[in-house]
Amino acid sequence: MGQDDDTGVSRHLRLMARIVDGILVALLAFMIGLAALQILMRNLFHSGFVTGEPLLRSLVLWVGMLGAIVASRTDKHISIDVLTRLLPSKAKAAVRVVIDLFVSVVCVLLAYHAGRLVASDYEAGTLAFANVPAWMVELILPFAFGVIALRYIFLCVAAVNRFIAYTRRA
Amino acid sequence: MILIVLLLIVLALLGAPLFAIIAASAMLGFYYADIDLSVVAIEVYRIAQMPALLALPLFTFAGYLLGESQAPKRLVQITDALLGWMPGGLALVSLTACAFFTAFTGASGVTIIALGALLYPALKQAGYPDNFSLGLVTTSGSLGLLFAPSLPLILYGVIAQQLNLPKQLTIDDLFIAGILPGLLMVVMLTAWSFWVNRAARAPILAFSARKVISAVRASIWELPIPFVVLGGIYGGYFAVSEAAAVTALYVLVVEVFIYREVSLQRLPKVMRESMVMVGAILIILGVSLASTNYLIDIGVPEKLFALIKQYVSSKLTFLMLLNIFLLVLGAMLDIFSALVIMVPLLVPVALGYGIDPVHLGMIFLANMQLGYFTPPVGMNLFIASYRFEKPVMQLYIATLPFFFILLAAVLIITYWPGLSLGLLQ
Repeated sequence: MGQDDDTGVSRHLRLMARIVDGILVALLAFMIGLAALQILMRNLFHSGFVTGEPLLRSLVLWVGMLGAIVASRTDKHISIDVLTRLLPSKAKAAVRVVIDLFVSVVCVLLAYHAGRLVASDYEAGTLAFANVPAWMVELILPFAFGVIALRYIFLCVAAVNRFIAYTRRA
Repeated sequence: MILIVLLLIVLALLGAPLFAIIAASAMLGFYYADIDLSVVAIEVYRIAQMPALLALPLFTFAGYLLGESQAPKRLVQITDALLGWMPGGLALVSLTACAFFTAFTGASGVTIIALGALLYPALKQAGYPDNFSLGLVTTSGSLGLLFAPSLPLILYGVIAQQLNLPKQLTIDDLFIAGILPGLLMVVMLTAWSFWVNRAARAPILAFSARKVISAVRASIWELPIPFVVLGGIYGGYFAVSEAAAVTALYVLVVEVFIYREVSLQRLPKVMRESMVMVGAILIILGVSLASTNYLIDIGVPEKLFALIKQYVSSKLTFLMLLNIFLLVLGAMLDIFSALVIMVPLLVPVALGYGIDPVHLGMIFLANMQLGYFTPPVGMNLFIASYRFEKPVMQLYIATLPFFFILLAAVLIITYWPGLSLGLLQ
């Protein structure tokens, strides 16, 4: 990466990031509006959309998973940060290579099995609520885990480069 | 098998994201049990089936937005007008304002950033010693955790509801149970502050009605929020998620369109940043549902209870061990992961010793609150060190007296169940 920041992979990554950001913000705004509308309807007309409640619950999953994607971008996931503070830079880079690789593998597996869930619910025609098929709601899972896997693969490559740079300097 | 578990623990200690560690252990467990691994995805999907969880993104967003606006300044201003005239008033102002802000913003360290920056210089200017001011502000960063509508309280309720308890608890129960233990902490810290500063008497100011009126006028739009939320929840008008929806929409309108302190261009960034925290919590919750499911399937809570029961027969001894365990846990793990990982295991064991799950929630969260500034790794110590540009070592020393005061409070909360459960009866 480095100087050719505006071409190839990183451009796609940035485009992807903007799309995810856009969907995330739109869904959150929709969620706030819908939740407020629900209360208004219930209190004024003693009714609400029957689908409003499960729709809101599905939105929580979507917003959460999209938020998790954004968290992966800058590695803001919750972790125990005790030992790494004490390590020298080169060892830190080596540790990062292993960790990022580990997270990538785990997320690829999660994405794969979530994909299988989507496929089986698609075939079975399971409904999530009203006439919304379950696979549509579940789709966020393989997508999110897939993107997170991708992110950590790139973080891993960056860590390898850092490690090489430290080795050369030494 | 044991080797792999050890490997995962090492990876976790080296800073691997906890969600990946938990997901890996869940997948390994199901793999060895010959269960289709898509069960992990099914468990994560259960996030979409918990009605109370809606409160999490909504309150988090509202909290971030309040933190981005001038609301913290107005909160300090109005608390100061109401309480600042008393002897030692500024310490009381700090504690009250912080407890309030933390309860409404979910204890993410944002209190220290938003309020500490205003209170620390003010405390020093009023003649409080440097270390006392630092310690007070850092400690206050997690005060208020036990007050509604704090996110850890909600999350504890959500997780406990997933377990098949003999008596279902509600989040409202937790909100009521938290009132007295939370007040106990504020009162004990206030008393300590008065005692320490009894010699250095700042001039007692006259109560100024004019100051109150001008502070009320400045924050006239935000004043209804606590009344609506707390009144709505405690009065039984709103479910928690509804209170969160009202708060989110109201805060959005007030800060963006009335005060205009967060511009429309900035709003998407605030929304995104707040959802990073929500995403980080929910992804851990999702994979933990899977690992918990596995652990319950193979009967770990029962085995754990049987094992502990062999060595610990009395409830009192168990509570003592629980305190020590939770203190260590709180210093290592952040409050949200600790809740998600430990609550499903601890609640059944505590039930075996006859501890009410609501009381256990108070014990758990009170311990975790202490964990925020327990050396060497309490998160708020680092946030304060960064924010006030002080060495972490100085913060260890500055927070030490406060640590012991709150430790006493935690012990009272632990061994006096009536304090938590009294208001429920």
